[in-house]
Parts: sequence; C-alpha cells; structure tokens
Amino acid sequence: MVIIFIAGLAYSQNNLRLKPGAKGEICLKCHVNFQKKIKRSFVHTPVKTGNCSACHDPHTSSHEKMLADNTREICYKCHKSVIPEKAVSAHKVVVEGNCLNCHDPHGSNNRFNLIKAGNDLCFSCHKEMGESFTKVKFKHNPVAKSCLNCHNPHASAKSGALLKDTVPSLCIKCHQTSKPEFAQRHSNYPVAKANCTSCHNPHGSDKATLLFTNVHKPFINKMCNQCHQEPNSPAPLKVKKEGIDLCKGCHSNMVNEIFYKNKIHWPAGSKKSCQECHTPHASIEKALLKKPMIEVCGKCHADTIERQKKAPKMHEPVKEGNCTACHNPHSSNNILLIQQPGIIELCGTCHEWQKHVTHPIGEKFIDPRNKNLTVDCLSCHRSHGTEYKNMLHFATVSQMCTQCHKEYQR
Amino acid sequence: MVKFLINLFFVISMLFAPLKSFGAEPVKVTYIASIYFDSKGSGLKLPEGIACNEKLLLVADTGNNRLLRYIIENNAIKGGEEIKLPELSYPIRVQVNSRGEIFGIDSKQRRIARLNPEGALLGFIELKEMPSPEAFMPRSFKIGYADNIYVLDILSERVVIIDLEGKYQKQIEFPKNYGFFSDLAIDSKGGILLMDTVGSMVYRASKDSKSFSPVTGNLKEYANFPTGITTDNTGGIYLVDQNSGGILILGQDGSFQTRLLSFGWDEGFLNYPTQLCINGEGKMFITDRNNNRIQIFSLVK
Repeated sequence: MVIIFIAGLAYSQNNLRLKPGAKGEICLKCHVNFQKKIKRSFVHTPVKTGNCSACHDPHTSSHEKMLADNTREICYKCHKSVIPEKAVSAHKVVVEGNCLNCHDPHGSNNRFNLIKAGNDLCFSCHKEMGESFTKVKFKHNPVAKSCLNCHNPHASAKSGALLKDTVPSLCIKCHQTSKPEFAQRHSNYPVAKANCTSCHNPHGSDKATLLFTNVHKPFINKMCNQCHQEPNSPAPLKVKKEGIDLCKGCHSNMVNEIFYKNKIHWPAGSKKSCQECHTPHASIEKALLKKPMIEVCGKCHADTIERQKKAPKMHEPVKEGNCTACHNPHSSNNILLIQQPGIIELCGTCHEWQKHVTHPIGEKFIDPRNKNLTVDCLSCHRSHGTEYKNMLHFATVSQMCTQCHKEYQR
Repeated sequence: MVKFLINLFFVISMLFAPLKSFGAEPVKVTYIASIYFDSKGSGLKLPEGIACNEKLLLVADTGNNRLLRYIIENNAIKGGEEIKLPELSYPIRVQVNSRGEIFGIDSKQRRIARLNPEGALLGFIELKEMPSPEAFMPRSFKIGYADNIYVLDILSERVVIIDLEGKYQKQIEFPKNYGFFSDLAIDSKGGILLMDTVGSMVYRASKDSKSFSPVTGNLKEYANFPTGITTDNTGGIYLVDQNSGGILILGQDGSFQTRLLSFGWDEGFLNYPTQLCINGEGKMFITDRNNNRIQIFSLVK
C-alpha cells in the first residue's frame, strides 16, 4: 500500500513537471529583496528551506500577498500549540490570527522572528502601559527586563492576563514569603497566600513597595487592625464588622448622607455594600474603585454601556467613562440618581447655551404625546446615546420633530 | 368494559396533561386605558410601585411622596384618593392583603408600613424572632395567599417570610452567583420567583423548598434590565424590562413565550417602566414611570 502511495505521489509530482526549485528557490529570482531577509539572524524555517509555497499560492489567491489562506489558518497549520487546549487566557491578537502584528513571517534579527525586540514590541500596542511604566518612580525589576518574565505571549493554561502562573504562586518564585522580613513588612498578617496584586502594582508605582497609587489611609499607615482582627488572633484576616458597618466606623458622615437620601443606589444596601465598587486596600483608580469607573458601573449596567457603544458620536461624559458627572453613585433625591433635581438642570451644567437659545422646554410645555409629561432634553435625546446622530431617538430630525408636530407629517 | 374505559380515560388524560400545562397559548395584550391623574386632577409623578386585585388598584406615586387608591368597578377605574403619610414619604412598593390592608416600603426609611383599608397608619412591620433582624434591607415585597409577607432582603441575601404581625415563618437564602435581585413574585402554587436584574434570570423556590434554582437561562437576548416580576393565575411569568420599555412573557416552566410593547411616549408605549401586576380578571397594570402614568392592558389568549 505504502509503495503504491509513494509511487502515485511521485507520478503526480512528475506529472506537474515542476522545475527544480519551483517551491521557492525560483521565487528569489524575481523577489531579489528577499536575499537580505534570508541573511537575517533568524529566518522562518519554510523560508530557510526555500519552501515559499508552504504559505503562498504561486498562481492565484483570494488573500493578500498571494497567501494560500488567511494568516490564522496558515500559521496554525504548523504552530497549533500556541494556544493550549484548556487555556485560561489567550492574547487577542493570537486568537484573531494576527500573528504578523508581532512576528515577521520571513526573517528578523530578533529571536522568534519578532518585529521588535523586548518590551518595545509589547509597548507598541500596550502604549498606556509603556508610558506609565516609563514615568513611574519605582519599576518592578522583572518588567524592566522583559514582560515575558511573568506573561506568556500567546496564552496561559494557568492564569488570567496571560500570566505564567497564578498569583501569588508566580510572585513567590522571587519573593520568599518564609522570610521574617515578609511577615514584618505585612504587619505580621498571614498574607502569604493572599492576592498580591490586590495591593501591589505588579508593573511599577510611584509608591514604595509598588503599592497602587491610591491607598486607603489605615492601610498605608499600617493600621490594619482598624478593620481586621489582631494579627495574633485565631482569624487575623477576618474583618471586625460586616459590610457597611465596617466602613461606617470612619466614614460615618458619608454613610449617613447616603442613607438620608430618598433613593439609595441599591448595591450600597447590599451585603457587600461599599465593596461592590471599592477595594479596601489600594487601587490604581481614584476613590479606590476596583476598576475604571465604566467597568465598575458596567458590571451591572452592561446594557447601558452597550447602547452607548452604538452611538455615532458619544456623549462626552459617556466617552470618558465618567458616569458620576451625571449620576451620584451612592444615593440621590432625584430620579435615576442624577446629580441635579431635574434633567434640564443636569444637562444645563454643561450645555449652558440651552438657557438662552433652545426649543421650548420646562414645566410650562406639555409634551403633545403625553398630557402628564413636560418637554425636556430627554424628549428628543437619549443621554447614553442611540444608534442615530445627536443621540436622537429617531433616525432623522424630521421623524423626531413630527412625533409632536404631527401637522408636518408626510 | 367499564374498567377498560376508565383505564383509557386515565391514559389519555395523562398524555394530554403536559400538553395542557406547557402548550401555553400565545398571549397578546390589548391596550385599555392610562391613568394620569388622582381624584383631584393632580398628575402622577414617577410612579414605581403597584398592587391590584379585582376591586382595587394601589399605586406608589413615588415622585409625589404618596400612595393612590383607585376602585375597579364595572370594568372602569374610579377614584384615585391620595394617601399621604410622613411615615411613608418615599413609597417604592405597595401591596394589599385579603383584608384590604395596605402595605408600603418606604425607600428612605427602608421599612414596611402597614395601613388600614382607609389609609391610616397602623404601624410598621416589626420583625419578631427573625435571624439577624438588624441586617435587613427590604428591596421589594409581596403578599402571599395566607396574607404572609414575603420580603426581598438584599442585605442578608434572603427572602424572609413573616406573618401579618411580623412573626418570622421561614427564610430562603439567595442562590449563589446571582447578579442583583430587584423583585419577587409568588405563584399560584405558593412558589417564590426571584427576578435577577443584572443576571437576567428568574429563579424559583417551590412552596416547601429551602433553596432557589434557575427557572430560565440567561434572558439577555430578550431583556436589557428586567426589574419587575409577577405571575398570572395560570402560572405564566411576566417581567417588565425597564431600560428598553417592554414586557416579557414566560411559560410557567420559564420558557420564553413572547416580548411585547416598546419604548415610547404615546399610549401603549413604555418609558422606563418599573413594576407590573395582573389581577384575576386578566387586567395588567404597569407603572410607566418616566411617562408619569399607569397603563392598563387586557391579556388576551
């Protein structure tokens, strides 16, 4: 059977009457610039072996650069294992098959045919990270050397964020928790198994010991026992009170103010209370928010966040993810927890012109569609955006206006 | 022969029973009317809570800091008397029991007030013998058929069942990994349904159950931010989708049946509705909050 197969294959190849070197060497006769690439320190194996047709179709193609298929399919043909079967996290570019964002498919002077060396490659996409890393006073040493000290570039079978291992297992490979100094630095609390990155910025920080920029006062003052049991107690990490009762100890004015208003933001009254949105130790975000505001709010109000993405032009506070520009995150006496007593006043805090030049709005103007409603900004606009221009409720201005001005309907 | 016929009848009834329960006919709603004003012609403002039976309609007229009581008589809505109490200054939920007594949650004081049928304050529901009474934050509540009060307590993550005098009956803990519960409903079999607004799911605990389990899968495909839940007398489940202004109808097994109504200002449209209730005559009342009105629909099968 094998003999017949080989004979058949040989026959079929001969039948194509391919010239010697037809799989690649011949290509270089025209593509002379490739000679330079081939001389680079690292050359992709098919290029090195003169097998251009491993990736390119020599005759016709539906893909750019005469590729035989899309890049994902071509690369995955040989590099199947870049994403493990049960990956916990995977690099978006790898999943999407944008391998050429990082690798030169022919050759490079960098290892693994990378188009740039070291962190420069990572920071070319993760610009914000690169900029903040350059600016911070204290840099985490392994990051300065290479992002790949902690992250896998393609995918991780063990942890999120492409980390090579889970936290703290990854951290304790360098930071030995058994040393007395470790306990001492953590006020003798047993935090060896805690999540290091809930307090420390693993990349770098302006704060010594790489704490996140915004730190809870009792924490930075090492007054852990203000919230937690004593370090030598049977359950030292246990908090002294649950939920908002714990926070109330210091933030009593704020808590009283929250609960004095007509409407509370319900998570404030839930079991986790403050910790639904805030982290108790340190955060990269202001006000110790767990994540950027839009992500914190979007955890529950995902539909609103999705809607605003559809808008051709985003409302400025929405674009900035500044939900608290309009809403009070804790409580309010006003509808939808807005910061002002009414919609017109709220919009007027930025759109000042509406106070002198505007379509009739306010208490005196009844909405023709609803006899118990007056005209305000939301009669025509939706503050988080719509799929239409100017955040209008309808596709065209005439459709919008003739909702009320029916006499002009065509 | 008689025995054979009895057996045949039994077999046929068993075969058709599931068809009858699950083969719910599609429900349609017909717009009937809207309520914009109280008995003195003063407009409703941002109403959030609603309760109804065959004779009575109660509205938590939240923005006006009051309750309103309407009478249902000969298919018409009359009255709209104001019940305004300093002890119930920001009502967000209202209920009525079999004796006609009125109950309301005050959002500011976060407690349940009990009023007589005329609207005079009888007191507040005091929680007797309940575990952790200090950790209590009522988000919503419903009155069950034995006039027991089922309270959605978001602070202790439980549904607490208390009798009319506040005496503790039992509690059922919230299920794990929920998003946020905004409302609950009691079905015709005494089961408790929970509306997970953030997770877009409905959970149920049957009458004697000690835990909740999901009735539906994720409903995000059909609803954006469902905040209110109720059932009809055949066990059908109705959800009100606040952020996109619509109603979802589910079968008693949680299967999606249909989505009705949409966002707007004209009658028959909804603008941030919050809650709904259905009476025994198949009338559906919706707090159309941002339209400052109550809309009434008739359920047609």
